[in-house]
Amino acid sequence: MAQIAIGILALQGAFAEHKASLHRLDLNRQLNVILVRNPSELSLCDALIIPGGESTTIALLARLAGLLEPLKEFSKTKPVWGTCAGAILLSESVVGAKKGGQELLGGISIKIARNGWGSQVESFEASLELNGLRDSTRPFQAFFIRAPVVLELSSSSDNLPITIVARIPLGLLPPSLVEENMSEDDPRTIVALRQGRHLLTTFHPELTEDDRFHEYFVRNCVLSV
Amino acid sequence: MTSPNSTSTPVRVVPNAGDASVTPSVAPSRSKGDGSANSSLGTFGVRVIMDVIDADQARIAEEAGACAVMALERVPSDIRRDGGVARMSDPAMIKEIVDAVTIPVMAKCRIGHFVEAQILQAIGVDYIDESEVLTPADEEHHINKHNFKVPFVCGARNLGEALRRISEGAAFIRTKGEAGTGNVVEAVRHERAVNSEIRKASAMNEEELYTYAKEIQAPFHLLKETARLKHLPVVNFAAGGIATPADAALMMQLGCDGVFVGSGIFKSDDAPKRARAIVQAVTHYNNPKVLAEVSENLGPAMVGLTIDDKLPGGRLATRGW
Repeated sequence: MAQIAIGILALQGAFAEHKASLHRLDLNRQLNVILVRNPSELSLCDALIIPGGESTTIALLARLAGLLEPLKEFSKTKPVWGTCAGAILLSESVVGAKKGGQELLGGISIKIARNGWGSQVESFEASLELNGLRDSTRPFQAFFIRAPVVLELSSSSDNLPITIVARIPLGLLPPSLVEENMSEDDPRTIVALRQGRHLLTTFHPELTEDDRFHEYFVRNCVLSV
Repeated sequence: MTSPNSTSTPVRVVPNAGDASVTPSVAPSRSKGDGSANSSLGTFGVRVIMDVIDADQARIAEEAGACAVMALERVPSDIRRDGGVARMSDPAMIKEIVDAVTIPVMAKCRIGHFVEAQILQAIGVDYIDESEVLTPADEEHHINKHNFKVPFVCGARNLGEALRRISEGAAFIRTKGEAGTGNVVEAVRHERAVNSEIRKASAMNEEELYTYAKEIQAPFHLLKETARLKHLPVVNFAAGGIATPADAALMMQLGCDGVFVGSGIFKSDDAPKRARAIVQAVTHYNNPKVLAEVSENLGPAMVGLTIDDKLPGGRLATRGW
């Protein structure tokens, strides 16, 4: 079978960890992992992972490298997975951006809040129940580092349906976000979701040795279409 | 499942807000990855951290693509010029910078001054730098960094010093360089020393490692882990004397995971342009064509100082034990 090329945006952030996770996957297809730093490297890719890091930095470096427009085009037609900062870049709109706003790529019709939990000290670890991943009765240990918070899912019927892949319990939400009578189904509890061929996680699956999210992205978003 | 901190690196535990379990602090730590020399650095890979003294400079740094800012009252070159005791910055000034930017904010405390560290943790900085640039408060002891939730960065000139700081709880290491000189020679010396000692250790058997641990005054278990990984068990940044995009790329090619730029940016003529150029140089450190482009027309760099016995303010790198 033909080789499949997965790109990892390597401007700043946790790209080396994603690469290590992809290399650990046991697939019946040969996987070519490309670190993407310019448009010609992007053009070789069948799918892209945007890693965690600082979203403002990644967006700025993308613009300086002439990658911003090619990335926007790419996310219209090909599978993209954003983790943490990458999740912010894939969103349609962002709250809490730096003064003067922040450039986004779009691709997933949600509104997201930057750094919803507070400073580095507020980073935490949580055990997640998964929907649709292999071995889904086994919880996934997730690291949240200055993570974004999903605020709203777009209700427009023009958009592809959104599948919720994982939520965190209300008790783990930052106190500033918790409201009275908040439902367990509140969008703010969503930490992983899929829309079409795009995947979004607000935490860092690449920092663990549990590669189920990488496997899910490659099998379900990239190969099974 | 293995947590990113599950090597024998010291792991700070902080109580989890929601339940009774504990969680390893998610300070930057290298995942184990494939163990190759250039692998894996938390979300902290390839980043530039810039010294700033007010909210305006912090915003310039953020606009330029810095991944964090170091809030301090005087940049190192001014500390050299002015002399006197250099202390932690005014908390009000640090808070102003925290409010001005969305990227993480670091602040410096004096070596051994654990109360300054408590204050910095209380006002909510993202990292603390226990720094030789400030006047040391203790000439024998460093801060016991395990007592804090906030991650620490510390300077080191060689492998023994780096591993001593890690054993005290430092979550990442930087070279000391000679801050405030615009002269990269000391940072290069420190990075080369650490790399060469790691290469040496990685060829040793266990008996030899015991002796080597004694020789470089490093905890044995950390030395053994470092020898196995063939890199430090935490991220390693360059700091001290970096003034140009080429300096930054040099440190990256020598194996650093990112760079601190102190006086080099805001003591140069066109700070926003130089800041942006250095950020690009760190991302594209292996691409001389991009490095040439970003090095063009930056205006004069900060005036450099030669590092000899007449250096104003003396050698800062020798502080720390």
